[in-house]
Amino acid sequence: MKRILLHPERSLAAKLIIAIGVLMLLGSFIFWYTLLWKQERDLIAIAVRYGDSFIEFIRKSTHHGMLTFNRPLIQETLENVSIAEGVKRVRIFDHKGKVFFSSRREDIGNFVDRASITLLANPQKWNVYRSEEKDRRLMVIGEIPNEPSCYTAACHIHPKEQKILGFIEADLSLAVLDKAQFRQGLALIGYVFIFTIMTSLSLGIILYKLVSKPVSHLVYGMERVTSGDLDYSVPVKTEDEIGMLTATFNSMVKEIRSAREQQERWTQMLEEEVAKKTEEIRKTQAGLIQTEKLASLGRMAAGVAHEINNPLTGIVTFAHLMLKRVPPQGEDAEDLKVIIEQADRCSRIIKNLLTFARATPSERAEVSINDVLSKTIYMVKNQEKFHNIKFNINMEEARFITQGDATQFQQIFLNMLINAADAMNERGTITIATRRIIVDDKPFVEIEITDTGCGIPEEVMARLFEPFFTTKPVGKGTGLGLAVSHGIVRHYGGQILVKSTVGKGTSFFVRLPLMG
Amino acid sequence: MKRILVIDDERIIRVSCERALIPEGYGVRSVSTGEEGLALIEKEPFDLILLDIKMPDMDGIEALKRIKERWPEMKVIMITGYGAVETAVKSLRLGAFNYIEKPFSPDTLLTAIKEALEVE
Repeated sequence: MKRILLHPERSLAAKLIIAIGVLMLLGSFIFWYTLLWKQERDLIAIAVRYGDSFIEFIRKSTHHGMLTFNRPLIQETLENVSIAEGVKRVRIFDHKGKVFFSSRREDIGNFVDRASITLLANPQKWNVYRSEEKDRRLMVIGEIPNEPSCYTAACHIHPKEQKILGFIEADLSLAVLDKAQFRQGLALIGYVFIFTIMTSLSLGIILYKLVSKPVSHLVYGMERVTSGDLDYSVPVKTEDEIGMLTATFNSMVKEIRSAREQQERWTQMLEEEVAKKTEEIRKTQAGLIQTEKLASLGRMAAGVAHEINNPLTGIVTFAHLMLKRVPPQGEDAEDLKVIIEQADRCSRIIKNLLTFARATPSERAEVSINDVLSKTIYMVKNQEKFHNIKFNINMEEARFITQGDATQFQQIFLNMLINAADAMNERGTITIATRRIIVDDKPFVEIEITDTGCGIPEEVMARLFEPFFTTKPVGKGTGLGLAVSHGIVRHYGGQILVKSTVGKGTSFFVRLPLMG
Repeated sequence: MKRILVIDDERIIRVSCERALIPEGYGVRSVSTGEEGLALIEKEPFDLILLDIKMPDMDGIEALKRIKERWPEMKVIMITGYGAVETAVKSLRLGAFNYIEKPFSPDTLLTAIKEALEVE
């Protein structure tokens, strides 16, 4: 309540009270004014009637005196009448305006002033004016008509033809009227004010109960909700507009709450997605770094390889020169041949390495995987190494066409078959399969080479495609086979995957993108 | 006597060529840069040039161009590393007669030279 009084602009109730108060005051004043004005007119009318009857009374009172031509009697009548407080003056005058009788002796014999003459001309024969003594007066004029009793009287003052014998003028004070009216006016103002204040106060209290309090409950509820408490619901106490507002607000809060929960769920899902994607990116990055490492290793290797060719030329040349000088079948010749052989071996290693490091392909053509694979299998089946090995061939009936170099692919498959044979100690089963798969919405051909060999332990798995890494005894493997294969496959947009169980076997999966 | 000029920045290559060719009756001169080679060809007659593809300063292709510009009939055999096929093919198009890959044996070298000199 205090708040309302201190900051009326912030309160509906205060505004309403003020507005109603002002309206009521205005209305009351208009009403009051109209009432009093009407009253004034009514009172004046009554006063006029009173004035007229007074004139009539004077007429009747002086009639006898006139008939008997008893002038002193007439004058006495007038003087007596004017004793009453309200009667200020009474006088009688003729057409010409000469005063014959007056309650004020000094008037007699004089002529009436302008006011009286003007009044004669006025059809309503009365006038209200304010006198020099500050009070309101009513001036009334009446005619004295000529009657038979008059013109047949003994005095013979007035002839028969004279219609009007004279005029009676009364000057009456309205002071009493005015005083009463004034008192009434004051009382009315007083009543109006009290009425307005009482009504305003009552309105104020009613409004407070009906509107301000429920609204402040609502505001409290809203504040609670804004500060985060979405479980709070404002109690609905009525069915009117405030009640509806409250109910609607409550359901809105429910909506917000469920939206908030939904949002939280979404956020969580998003976070999970982000975590997943981050992991993916991390893996891809790790893969890329690995590829980069291999690539730079390759480049370095290429540089080294080219360098080595020069001294190799020297070794080969001089060994040959010596060979020409020594006896052909002797020990020296044999030793020199060894030197030349080893130099050749160096050369082959380098060639292998350079193949691995090459950035540009030797040939980009359309290769039928099944054909290449079949050719490779045919090649090895006849080799001694594979005599005790069973082949399990499962190639899908399709022309798997990829982009690439047939020779290179053959190299890869050959390398893998040889690895498989070695892993099984040249006894076991090699399964070869080709199939169509989808990777990232794109069609690939997958070539599987599975052996029943010793399997690959975990610590070796990580280094499988490292250049120069080999588990074979010195002299038996260059450690380049898989590295080179990996490079080639990656170059054509594919991948090599490995699955292995120690003691049971290993599977290599070469995936290449299909054309068309 | 047929005269052969070896242009290669590697000493061992120059020496190997000399030791392989001189006993077979060729006259051999060797220099380490393209510039020196060009200067020498101005002064002395040669039947064949052995030109290394990869050299600092003036590289093999550039030297080949300059030689062929000045002496269009000159026979040039390029010495390449393994896998530099594109460059080798390019040199052939620019007028080189043939190429041999490092490392080469004396026999390989001699065969290539004989082949080149037989053709007129």
